[in-house]
Parts: sequence; structure tokens; C-alpha cells
Amino acid sequence: MDFTLNEEQVLLRETARAMFGNECPPSLIRDAFYDVTSTGPEDARTFFDRHLRDWAALGDAPVVDLCLFMEEAGRVLAPGPGWVNTSMFLPLLRLIEHPLADQVAAGEMTGTVAVCGSDGYWVLSEDPVRSFVPHAKEVDLVAVLSAQNTVSCVPATELNLQEVATLDRSRPVFQFDVPVGLDTTGVSAEELAAVLNRGTVALAAELIGVGRWLMDATLDYVRERVQFDRPVGSFQGLQWKLVDAALLLERADAAVYFAAMCLDSDAAEQHHAVHVAKAAAGAAARRWARDGLQSLGGIGFTWEHDLHLRLRRAQASEQLLGSASWHHDRLAELIFSTG
Amino acid sequence: MWVDPVQLAWGAEEEAFRAELVAFLDAEVPEEMKGGRDWIGDESPEIPQWASEFQAKLFDSGWMVPSYPPELGGRNATPLQTLIFMEELASRGVSRSVHFGGYAIVGPSLLEFGNEQQKSMAPSAIRGDTVWCVGMSEPDAGSDLASLQTRAIPDGDSFIVTGQKVWTSYAMVAEKCFCYVRTDTGVAKHKGISVLIIDMDSPGLEVRPLRHLTGAIEFAEVFLNEVVVPKENLVGDLNSGWRITMGSLAHERGALWVESVSSAQRALEGLVEIARRQGLENDGVVRRKLAELYEEVHSLRALGYKGFASFAQGSSAPEHSFMKLATSELRQRLYAFGMELQGPYAAVVDPELVEEGGRWQQSWQISLAATIGGGTSEIQRNVVATRVLGLPRG
Repeated sequence: MDFTLNEEQVLLRETARAMFGNECPPSLIRDAFYDVTSTGPEDARTFFDRHLRDWAALGDAPVVDLCLFMEEAGRVLAPGPGWVNTSMFLPLLRLIEHPLADQVAAGEMTGTVAVCGSDGYWVLSEDPVRSFVPHAKEVDLVAVLSAQNTVSCVPATELNLQEVATLDRSRPVFQFDVPVGLDTTGVSAEELAAVLNRGTVALAAELIGVGRWLMDATLDYVRERVQFDRPVGSFQGLQWKLVDAALLLERADAAVYFAAMCLDSDAAEQHHAVHVAKAAAGAAARRWARDGLQSLGGIGFTWEHDLHLRLRRAQASEQLLGSASWHHDRLAELIFSTG
Repeated sequence: MWVDPVQLAWGAEEEAFRAELVAFLDAEVPEEMKGGRDWIGDESPEIPQWASEFQAKLFDSGWMVPSYPPELGGRNATPLQTLIFMEELASRGVSRSVHFGGYAIVGPSLLEFGNEQQKSMAPSAIRGDTVWCVGMSEPDAGSDLASLQTRAIPDGDSFIVTGQKVWTSYAMVAEKCFCYVRTDTGVAKHKGISVLIIDMDSPGLEVRPLRHLTGAIEFAEVFLNEVVVPKENLVGDLNSGWRITMGSLAHERGALWVESVSSAQRALEGLVEIARRQGLENDGVVRRKLAELYEEVHSLRALGYKGFASFAQGSSAPEHSFMKLATSELRQRLYAFGMELQGPYAAVVDPELVEEGGRWQQSWQISLAATIGGGTSEIQRNVVATRVLGLPRG
């Protein structure tokens, strides 16, 4: 397997990094965080409108390209529905050949997906309620999936959206009662699984970006912070902890891009690879949140430091599209199901 | 039972290379190597005839070190072809040689640092015609190799060498030793080290086999008591030996991880089979543990390939700094879990009573060396902390 990026991919990553670097300062993220329920500055809510609509067509691109973008978005904790709109909503519209798909790709309309029932597990559901629907109040349309492998596209304004408050207020999730008598389009279980796989790997890439920010911030801090007349980063007890966390992040990073390549090439190993990617990326992001916080000492436990924003994203995203344990259990099914 | 690893679109030239290699291996790999064992080393320190013949055949066919030219047992292979070579060997559990010092350390070091006469010794070291041992560790120089104390004192046209080496693999059967000695005690410890070629039948040199904890004999202690070594046996410049410790097969550095990942993958596949045979297939704890191990093995494989992409483009590959640390510790957990799956029979070593003739108990014991030899896990962590993460030295 070849991890070499082509020139276009390198350019894509650099462009995304520059855009986020210029347009998405930490203050904006904090605004997004405070803002979710209503009052804060408008900047964060309009960030998507001003910058991310241009990138919506990545939903039609190879998964590797999408992941390169999502990693940069995760690093800065970019606000808005970009992830769900790009990685799952657009591919779903393509799948059902929805007339609005081109508009979504052009960034003129946006959407999210409603998968789980009130139990919160990301499997197609019979439940009359859909829950953990990301960013539903920030988008135009909601694609409702059902256990009969159907897709229904509903204007968000027609749904009675109730926010489910989570640790991560920069990624609000909602629940609603599924309206009766929706127009549905049937698709195959395999096709739906492919869309969910795409969303899962994109989320894993975002978590790698979250982990990268945490790792960089932690290493910067322990190089500078002096106690007992030496930088705390020179203490072996701290070094070994951070080496182990770095290994976790590096192998998760590789697993994510491996899974992306598997999806792009429709490889036999793709389902295995997706489970590995999400489990590893989630574990790595949470590990860096925890060990980063510990390494920063008291400052890491403050509201003022940006670490807690990533801690919250890492914890909450662990549950979106399946936790590590959930993916391990599915992986075990695959391991034992083959001859 | 297993999903084949994806082989994403290597080019036609690479696939032709692979096809030729596979044909060679199918025809030439000795039966004795096909047992699927996870270890090398045995009660006897002798190098088996079949192993010597296989190594010579690899050399003569250009498959010993493919990145080398034909006169050195290769075929001028590219980095990617070398990676494919490592994949195919590792997936079959095939070792090129039972004594890696000769082809992996001594041959390449002679070629890089030796004079013309010494360079001419490299082909036979790589082909295995001359068996070499490497004298590095000493009783008081383990992780801190540079503190080695075996002294070489100039005396006319010779050095007089006195000291002791330990953990010296295959010293019992080696003809020559690639020996690190102290030639200057008045300078910083890294700056007073030289390398000498020492004939193992020299007067004053004594070898005592050192049985390791599995019971096998592979290591030895080497005692040197006023051994006379001609000055022409100095490799490279006087006091430049530390630089030579860094020498190994640079061409293969991007693919060294393949063997350890493949062996972890074979162990994982074996664990699934044990779980089935032991009726633990539906045990939730066992299933989750296996899935966690699967995640680890396969994400490390991806990390190895990612590092290779940098390596092949001539960049440094920090990914590979993690691989030895990660795979050696993983291997211990894999084999320990293989024992645990056998319940009360975990500690039984009677081959008649346990899974696969005691493979898991034996391999677990061997795996305990993996976090010590070639740089302990502790040293590896220090190196990653300072060189990869850029943390200040302690």
C-alpha cells in the first residue's frame, strides 16, 4: 500500500491548513463553543457560510482527500456542519440520485443525517425517534435513514428538533420524532454501509487532527515549563508517557489513511480497516486529551486553556458512529465470521 | 480464513519482480524452514547444512540482499522491490540466514568502512561462507555500549587485546569476530573506540557458550587474554569505531519492520484458531481482546508502510523509530495471550499436552528477549522522546 501523496493532495492539505490558519483563530472556536445555545458572536456560525461551502464538493472526492481536509479541520476544531454534510449527506444524495445533490456539492445547500434511534447506537433503526443528529439546526435538510434501508430527505425546519446537550457544545446534536408518511427511496444495505463507512473514516481523520493539536500543544508546553530547575519535558517519567501516547497517535493516523485507501479502492479489507481506524483514532485523541491535561498540570484544568475544547470533542466524538468497544465487537464478528 | 492484505497497485515492474521471487521461493525454500516456527535457535549451536546451502543459493541467485549488485548477492533492487522482498519472506516465515551478523552487519560495514582487502571479505560474509560474530556488548557495557572496556594496546605491528565480550551470537561456530575495542582511554568514551577483525582461533581467545532462558545455546561469552591482532585488521580509522556501530544495511532500513509485523500477524491468526479450538469463540472478553490486538497489528502495519513512503522518497521516516519498540512489546502480549487461552495448561511445556507442540510457551520465552536485544525498550523510548518528539535530554 502506498502512502505517498500526489501533488494535488499535498496542495489540498496546504491550502486547507492555510485557510484554517488564517480564518479560524482559537477565539472563533471559543465563540462557537459558547455560542451554541444562542447568544454569542455570529462569527462561528457564519464560518461555514463564508469558508466551508467551497469545500463541500470533497464529498464527491476520494476518501483520502476528504481525510486530509478533515484532519486540518479537526486540528483547529472548525465550527459548522462540514463533516456530516460533506462525508455523509452529499454521498447519500448521490446514492439516491437526489435532484439537490449538485447544489449541495456546490455549497448552496447543506444537510445532515439521522441514523440512530433514542438508544444512541449508530445502527439503522426502527425507532420512531432519531437521535444524535449532528448540526441539525445549522443545515437545510435532514436525511432520515431507516432499518428498511430507506432514505428520506426532509427540510430541517419541518422537524421538531430538540437538542441533546453533550460535553461538546461545538458539535450540537439533536433528536426528533420521525414524521409519518415521508417519501422514501430504497437503497441497498451495502450502499448505506459504504456511506456510513465514509463518515466514520472522515470523523476518525478529524480525531487525528484533534490529537495532533493536543500533542503539539503538550510538547510545546513541557519543553518550556521549568520546575526543579529543568524543563519538565526532560523528566523520563513524563517522556515515556508521551512516547507511548505518540505511538498511539501515529499508528492511528496510519490506520485512518489506510482505511481511506481501502474505501477508495473497494478493497476486501475495507470493513475491518474502518473499525480499526475509528477505534484507534478515538483512543488516540482521548489519550492525548488525558495525558495532555496531566502534563499541563493545573493550567490544563482551566476553562481558559483551549485544551478542554478538544477534550470535549474527543470524548463526544468517541460515541458518534460507534465507540472503540463497539467497533472492536464488530471487528470480532468479522474475524470469527470468515472460514 | 484471513482477508488478504491489500496490495494497492504496485507497478507492473514490481509485480514481475514479485512473481520471479515467489517462483524462486516456492522452488527453493528448504522443508526444514517451512515448519512455521516463530523462533530460531536450538539446543545445538551448529549451523545446519540446509541453512548454509539455502543462504548460498540466495546469494548466487541475487536474492540474498536484493538491493546489492550481483557480485554481492543482489540484483540492484529498488527500495520498493526490497519492500516486496521483505513482505514475501516474512509472510512465509523465511529467514535468509540463521546468523544475521554476517550479512546484516559485518558485510555492509566492511563495504562502507573497510580497506580494499577487507572489502574483498564482504561477499563471503554475506554468502555465509565465512561465519562472523560481532563483539559488542560487555558485562559492563550493555545499553551504554560506548563504555566498553576491552582494551587494544599497540605493540609494533599488532594490537594486544584483553577483555571480555558477552551475548555474542554464534561465537562457538564463528571463524571471525568483528570486535569493538577501546584504543584510547584519554578521550570521551565515544571517541576512543575502534573495530578489529579477530580470528576466533587466535591464541588467548576462549569461547564459553551461554545458555539462555529457553535452554537454547546461541549466545556466548568471549574472553580475550592478550590476543595478538595484526594492525592491518583495523577496520576504518583508529578511534573511529563509534561511527561503524551505526552501519548496517541502510538499503533495507525502510523495510526492517516487515518481518516483525508479519510475525505478529501470524501470531494473531494463530490466536483466533486457538480460541476456536478452546471453545472460547463466543467469550466476550476473548473476542474484544482479539479485536484490540487486531487493531494494534494492523495499525502498525499501516504505520510501517507510511514510514516506507517517506523512506522511499529519501526523507527521514520517524514512523520507523516507533516500530521496534511497538512490535517487540506487542509480540510479548500476543504470545502471553496464546498461553492464557490455554487456561490451566498455560504454563505446561510438555509438547504433547498443549497447543501446537508448545509453540506459544516457547515463543513467549523467546519474545522476552525482543525488548532487550538491539536496544532496550527503555533506550528506544529515550531515543523517540529526544529525537522524534524533540523533548529536552534528561
